[in-house]
Amino acid sequence: MADVVFSSVQKQFGSFMAVDNLNLDIQQGEFISLLGPSGCGKTTTLRMLAGLEFPTGGEIKIGDRVVNDVPPGERDIAMVFQSYALYPHMSVGQNISYPLKKRRVPKAERAAMMAKTAEMLQLTPLLDRKPKELSGGQQQRVALGRALVRDPKVFLLDEPLSNLDAKLRGHMRTELIELHQRLGRTMVYVTHDQLEAMTMSDRIAVMEGGKLQQFAPPKDVYREPANRFVASFIGTPGMNIVDGALRHEGGRWIFEAPGISVGTQNLGPETRPGNAAMGIRPEGLSFGEGPIEGIVQLVEQTGHENIVVVLVGTDMRLTGRTAADRVWRAGESVQLSIDSNQAHFFEDGPNGIRLNRPLSSPGNQEAAQ
Amino acid sequence: MTQKTKTLLERRYSMLGLLLIAPTVLVFCAVIVYPLVSAIYLSLFKIFTPTLEGTWVGLDNYRTLLAKGEFWTSLRTNLIWTVGTLTLQIIFGVGMALVLHQNIWFRSLARSLILFPYFISTVVAVLVWKWLFNDLYGILNHLMMSAGLIDWPLDYLGTMPNAMISVILVGAWKYFPFVVIAVLARLQTIPDHLYEAARIDGAGPIARFFDVTLPQLREVLVVIIMLRAIWDFKEFDLIFLLTGGGPVTSTQTLPLLVYKEAFALNQMGMASAYAVIMMLIMLVFMIIYIRRTRSEDS
Repeated sequence: MADVVFSSVQKQFGSFMAVDNLNLDIQQGEFISLLGPSGCGKTTTLRMLAGLEFPTGGEIKIGDRVVNDVPPGERDIAMVFQSYALYPHMSVGQNISYPLKKRRVPKAERAAMMAKTAEMLQLTPLLDRKPKELSGGQQQRVALGRALVRDPKVFLLDEPLSNLDAKLRGHMRTELIELHQRLGRTMVYVTHDQLEAMTMSDRIAVMEGGKLQQFAPPKDVYREPANRFVASFIGTPGMNIVDGALRHEGGRWIFEAPGISVGTQNLGPETRPGNAAMGIRPEGLSFGEGPIEGIVQLVEQTGHENIVVVLVGTDMRLTGRTAADRVWRAGESVQLSIDSNQAHFFEDGPNGIRLNRPLSSPGNQEAAQ
Repeated sequence: MTQKTKTLLERRYSMLGLLLIAPTVLVFCAVIVYPLVSAIYLSLFKIFTPTLEGTWVGLDNYRTLLAKGEFWTSLRTNLIWTVGTLTLQIIFGVGMALVLHQNIWFRSLARSLILFPYFISTVVAVLVWKWLFNDLYGILNHLMMSAGLIDWPLDYLGTMPNAMISVILVGAWKYFPFVVIAVLARLQTIPDHLYEAARIDGAGPIARFFDVTLPQLREVLVVIIMLRAIWDFKEFDLIFLLTGGGPVTSTQTLPLLVYKEAFALNQMGMASAYAVIMMLIMLVFMIIYIRRTRSEDS
C-alpha cells in the first residue's frame, strides 16, 4: 500500500520552477532518499510533504488523505532538521516531550513516553541538560527523539547528518538504519550525499533541475542509470562519460570517440546513429593491455586500491581503479581496454536517456576493440 | 607558582596597549570621574549657586533631604513615571516589532516611519504635543468632543491625574521606537527552523509566540528594560517642558527637583546631594545591567 503519494506535484517560486511534475509512490515502511545536487528541488519536495511549503500544482497524499491544505501539525509526520532546530531554552526532556504537550497528552503518559524514547536513544543521563551543553551527535539524537516520541506515520529527515564529523556520520547512519528496521515506519530522507542514500535507502529518488530523474533501488540506480545525469552523479569516483558518435555496421553498433572504439549489440530498438555518449565506471576499465593509449596524470592512493586518472588524446580523462600494490608514476604511458559488457550508452545531451538494455541481459557479450 | 617573565616583545606590546587606551582613559576621567567626584564633594557643602561660595556642612544635606517630604514625594512620582512609561514602551515596542517582523507590504516604509518619534528633538515633540493637548484650541479635545466622548474640554496638563497620564503617554510615544529597533533586531536572528519545528510539533500561533519567540526575546528584553529604566528615571527635558513638574509638584520627578534646588533655590550643595542619591538608586539598575551583559558574554 502506498503511504505517501506525489501526483503531478509542482512548486514554483516566481518564475523559477523548483519542483516540476513530480510523481512518487512511496510504500508503507519504505526508506526513501531524495538525492541530488544543491537546488535540485529535493528539500522543497520534503518541505511540501511537511506542509512548510505549499505546492502550486498537483496533489500530495499521506495514507488515504490529500494533505495539500492540512497544517503541518495535523499531518501525522515528524521532521528532523539539518540544524536540529532544538528549542534552546528547553531541557532535553522538555524538547522531546514538547510535541506530546502540544497534543495535550496527559502528563503521566507524556513522561512515560519521553522516558521510553530517551532510553532508546541513550539520552536518559542528559534529560536535564540544555541543547547548548550537548555535542553535535547528542543534539542529533535529541532531534530524533523529538520526532520519534509520538510515533508518527511518516518521518522526514532533512540532511540530518551533514553537520556531523565523518566518523560520527558513519555511526549515526548505522543507527538510523537499525532504527528504521526496528520501527518499520516510512522514512523520507533528503541528502546530497550519495553514500548515505546508497547505504540506507530501499529506493532512491534522484532529482535534478526540479525533475525526478530516476526512482529505483540503490543497486539499479548504480547499475542501470536512467540517463546520463544519474550515471554521472552516482558513484565515487564518478562514471567516465565519453562524448562521441554511434554508427550501425553489420548488425551491430559501434561507438567512436577520438582514440576509442567500442562495439555493442545491446542497444534498444529506438537507437539512432549520430552523436551519443558512452559511460563506463572506473571498474570497467582494464589496465595493462588494450587498444587505448594514455598517460597517467594523477594517482590517488586510498589504501585498498589506487584511483588512476589517465589522459587519453589531448583532453579526455578516464578514471580507473587498480590494485593498491601496483605503483604508478605520473607521466607513465599506459594501455587500457574498455569492457563493453559494462559500458552504458546515452543519447546526446546532459540528461540524455540510456540507450542500452540492462547490463545483465543477454546479447551484451562483445569485447572492446 | 611559576613566575612568568615577559619577553621584550611582550613588554613592548603592553606599552603600546597602554599608550592606545591612554587618551580614552584621560577623556573618561575628565568627563565622568571628575564630575562624579565633584558632585559628591559639593554635596558636603552648603553652596549659594550664583557665587559658588560655600561652607562645609558634612552630611547635613543628606539628613535634611531624607527628612523632607518633597524628596519622598518626588521619588514616588519618579517611580510612577518610570514604571508607567516603561511598561507602555515595552508593550507597544514588542507589539510593533512583531507587526513589523511580518511580511507586510509596507514594511520598509513602516520601519523607517516608526523611528520618527525617537529621532525628533524633544523640544519640538513637546511643543507639538502641547498644541494637541491645549484645552482651548487643541485638536484632541476638538476630536473627542466631535466624537461625543466628552461634553467639556479636558485639561490634560493642568490637573491630576491627567497630567501624569499625559506625561507617561508622551514618554511612551517618544521612546517606544528604541524598544522596536532592539526587539526587531533580535526577532530577525531567531532561526525560522525553530518556528517550523514548532509548527510540525503542533504549536499554533499563540503557542509559537510563548514557546519560541518570547524565550528568545528574554535576554534582550532584560537589557532593554534596564537601559530604559535608567534613562527614564533620569528623564528631565520631556517632563520639564511639558508640565514643568506641575500642577504644583504633581509631576515633579527627582531630576526636576535637582534642577529646582540648583537654579531656582540656588542651593548647589543640596542639589548635588539629590543627584548623588539619584545616582545610588540608578546604580542598582546599572549593576543588574552589567551583570546581565557579562553573563551573556560568558
